Amino acid sequence: MFFVEIYINIETICVINTQGVHMPKHIASGLKYLAAVELTRDGYSQKKISKMLNIDRSTLSHYLHGRNLSLSSIEIAELIKEFTPKDFLVLTDAVIEDKEATKTIVKTCLIKKFKVNVLDTCIGCGVCVETCLIDAIVLDNLKAQIDPELCCGCLMCEDKCPTNSIKIWEE
Amino acid sequence: MATNTKETKVKDFNIERSAGEQRKLSYKDETCIGCGICEQICPVEAIELGPIGAIVRTGSDEAKICIDEEKCVLCGMCSVGCPVNALDLEIEGKPIREIETYPRLISSAEISDEDCVYCRACERICPQDAVTVARVLPDRSKLVTGEIDIDKEKCIDCGICEEMCPADAITIEELGPNEFDISVDEDKCVYCLVCKRACPEDAITAACRGCSYGEYEINPEDSEIQGKAVIDEEECVRCGWCEEVCPKDAVTVVKPFKGELEVDLEKCETCGACIDICPCEVLSFPKPSKPGEIGEKVEKNEEMCIYCGACEKVCPNEAITVKRTGINYTPTKSKSWQKRLESLKT
Repeated sequence: MFFVEIYINIETICVINTQGVHMPKHIASGLKYLAAVELTRDGYSQKKISKMLNIDRSTLSHYLHGRNLSLSSIEIAELIKEFTPKDFLVLTDAVIEDKEATKTIVKTCLIKKFKVNVLDTCIGCGVCVETCLIDAIVLDNLKAQIDPELCCGCLMCEDKCPTNSIKIWEE
Repeated sequence: MATNTKETKVKDFNIERSAGEQRKLSYKDETCIGCGICEQICPVEAIELGPIGAIVRTGSDEAKICIDEEKCVLCGMCSVGCPVNALDLEIEGKPIREIETYPRLISSAEISDEDCVYCRACERICPQDAVTVARVLPDRSKLVTGEIDIDKEKCIDCGICEEMCPADAITIEELGPNEFDISVDEDKCVYCLVCKRACPEDAITAACRGCSYGEYEINPEDSEIQGKAVIDEEECVRCGWCEEVCPKDAVTVVKPFKGELEVDLEKCETCGACIDICPCEVLSFPKPSKPGEIGEKVEKNEEMCIYCGACEKVCPNEAITVKRTGINYTPTKSKSWQKRLESLKT
């Protein structure tokens, strides 16, 4: 399922950029670059960032100094960032293949803030917990608790909830 | 992403979801009483009660309920609502009835070891064969005392004593032509003296020291009956028959539901489907008072009813109404669970 989605997205990106085919790992590098720049701006050390994004320090250093990364990869990553939160998340999750790094990238690059509300009709089935790609949901006393700080607004949980108990909106 | 898998074994099945957390819902058809409470409580309409009347009466291969694994979200409400634990949701291998955040129906059946005399009345009456009473009886020889002796010189090997002994305690062994041995098994002999009275040759001398028909002192320990009465939790439906028949009031049954059972005799067509499905033997046809008499309409013994509602569901003539007025369950903080459980009231 993911493969098809990525493929379609790569196609789209290729058409827009007309700069040849970009493999998922190029897109992943671009996304990591964007997150790294943002995290550096936030004052994180390179050591910390390399851990957060699961890349080795020399690669990270090259990235931050504008080496070893084609400009088009960055452009594509910038483009992906502007997708809907769901597309951004799903695509990032698929190309990064590392949950923690995905969480870091999504949290760093998505500047939108979301408000969440779980209605009392929630039955605590845990489908949302399983759906959430960034572990923003836990069950507490048979009710879903969504961490608004972590929530990226992909709305996949809202979509999957069998009782329509999740409401998420942009702040 | 999480997808459900379904594994079917004859009529039983398991539905599983194992993404981050492992959830497994198992269904046991043998335990299911076809009441349809699961269908009623399911928040996503994933459960459908089958044609239970036909299934029960024909011994069909069909399971009593069907769960759509595409719709099921493994929330566990059916497992909590099921009064007989035919449905069981496990999270990471632990049944939710053992997880405190989940409510559970309060029901139990217990036999007090202290009061039980192992008479087996409960075992005989239990409509689900859920009770087993194991008992060890005292040695018969310790409850009677006496003396017995056979004069082999006088004995003519007629075999009358052997034939008459009510306890099969006398054995005559033919060793050859005109050669025999006669013996009394003192573990079996109760010193009733029938042999002595019947012997045509007065070859038997016997005396009951403490007469076996009278009151006399025996060691109280020697007459002790030991045992254990066990109720199989999986089979028990909390009908209360055991409590009803126990002569020592040793049984306590707590039922999950309170309610009323109404039978409209005008509508009853005496098909007997309700009698076949009732797990508690609450319903029956009255016994005819004379041969050839046509059975009358269905009768109820409501005291044993658990208000599961299976009879109402199975009746083709809408002659039965089961009202559930009270549900006994442990508290839960979840409003939706409370609401769904309360919705079982009618």
